[in-house]
Amino acid sequence: MVGLSLGEKHFIQGGIDQNLRSDGRKRDTYRPISVETGVIPQANGSARIRIGATEVIASVKAELGRPNALQPDKGKVSIFVDCSPVAEPMFEGRGGEELSTELSVALQRCLLGGKSGAGAGIDLSSLIVAEGKICWDLYIDGLVISSDGNLLDALGAAIKAALSNTGIPRVQVAAGASGDEQPEVDISDEEFMQFDTSGIPVIVTLTKVGRHYIVDATSEEESQMSSAVSVSINRKGHICGLSKRGSAGLDPSVISDMISVARHISEQLINKLDSEISAAEADEDEM
Amino acid sequence: MAAQGGAAPSTYTPTPTKKTQRSPFFSDSDVDWLRPDGRGFHQCRAAFFRTGAVNSAAGSAYAEFGNTKVIVSVFGPRESKKAMVYSDVGRLNCNVSYTTFANPARGLGSDNKEFSSMLHKALEGAIMLETFPKTTVDVFALVLESGGSDLPVVISCASLALADAGIMMYDLVAGVSVSCLGRNLIIDPILEEESFQDGSMMITCMPSRYEVTQLTITGEWSTAKLNEAMQLCLDACSKLDKIMRACLEEAASASQD
Repeated sequence: MVGLSLGEKHFIQGGIDQNLRSDGRKRDTYRPISVETGVIPQANGSARIRIGATEVIASVKAELGRPNALQPDKGKVSIFVDCSPVAEPMFEGRGGEELSTELSVALQRCLLGGKSGAGAGIDLSSLIVAEGKICWDLYIDGLVISSDGNLLDALGAAIKAALSNTGIPRVQVAAGASGDEQPEVDISDEEFMQFDTSGIPVIVTLTKVGRHYIVDATSEEESQMSSAVSVSINRKGHICGLSKRGSAGLDPSVISDMISVARHISEQLINKLDSEISAAEADEDEM
Repeated sequence: MAAQGGAAPSTYTPTPTKKTQRSPFFSDSDVDWLRPDGRGFHQCRAAFFRTGAVNSAAGSAYAEFGNTKVIVSVFGPRESKKAMVYSDVGRLNCNVSYTTFANPARGLGSDNKEFSSMLHKALEGAIMLETFPKTTVDVFALVLESGGSDLPVVISCASLALADAGIMMYDLVAGVSVSCLGRNLIIDPILEEESFQDGSMMITCMPSRYEVTQLTITGEWSTAKLNEAMQLCLDACSKLDKIMRACLEEAASASQD
């Protein structure tokens, strides 16, 4: 928790009003983002993202499983976030549970699309191995290592980076299994499939402090917010999910305005992230 | 329980937006497709509310929207748990749970953490928390039968229960959800429609103040569709608010007699 004196609060609010924040940024500037991929060799894909003092890791693990009976032609993806007490003492025990659930739900909402799978950033039908019998289950885990605000955006970016780093082994299904029998599979350890990550949206959180909204708020700034809107936007400029935090109500026209601002910012963020991710992948290959 | 005839309308269907009808791009457009319960795309189910459902609670309300049946009771303001640190504003504690028979397949009847936190976020902004410092108000919602659009119904019902308990609020909170199926927007979806939806939007707002307390969107939306859905929800919210107010007025006049 952030304990601020009255003077500090006024300083933060006044700075945001004048478009010059405590760390010298403007209202719409991000802190420097650094991406590192392939940080967890045990996982199929992983990435570490640092935005200022906020640091998160995302890992992707793939396991073979059975598709859902209702959607036999689709794989399954689940997203969990863990807030480790390493980041903040208040996350110890069940303290981080509430935040973890909130972040997991927001990420699921932003990345997995509607119930029918439409609008999902991850193409679930690419995860199918044998229709109705075998599919890949993707387990995406986010871990908060250091928390200085803007966790959702960082986690969203980390998941995007981890997915572009993910290689899923090619699977040969033995022919001849008939009826309800589970066919035998042969998992290749040399050939890997890459994911198409171009459709994965980025998450932009606009935090409203006073009359203005800012991007990439630090935890000090977040403590002064009245409300925050997280919008996930894909390359096409379509909204893929939205969630609101904070108690204060918002006028519908303000929300529409926030969405269009977020869309504008997302274009820059997507380009920035993509170049960082490809640079990180190139670094990894050199090693 | 059937909706009783009164001065208030029982449905909160939004007024049709004045939209120029474009001719469909494809002749085999799915416009004549019908909803399972025979409603129009922009037609809501009949809403029924009644306060005072639970005697032992400080305030309570029962809501029935088609097959969705919800009961909410409010306790407090009462002493916060000992472990809580001092707070000069009141606390709001929300819990949403399902009965074991709420769904077609027998469930575990467990708490729904996601809905609990959504309920908290939707109501928090409407309650004057500073009017009950150091104490906690508990809001317990039980979904008796899940028939689709559960969360918006829970939220509307909870705000009515809070009003019944005499908790100071800026305004009632009304919740409405819209599902996106193909190119169509359908309001107040039932369970069946929700399981096939391509996207969904839920808005909870304080209609008299015209402020949105909570908004969630899933699925892919273009700007035009987003705005249309928002207008639809906001209009339905203000209609729903009238029904909720009528229910409170009725309860108040009944207690005066």
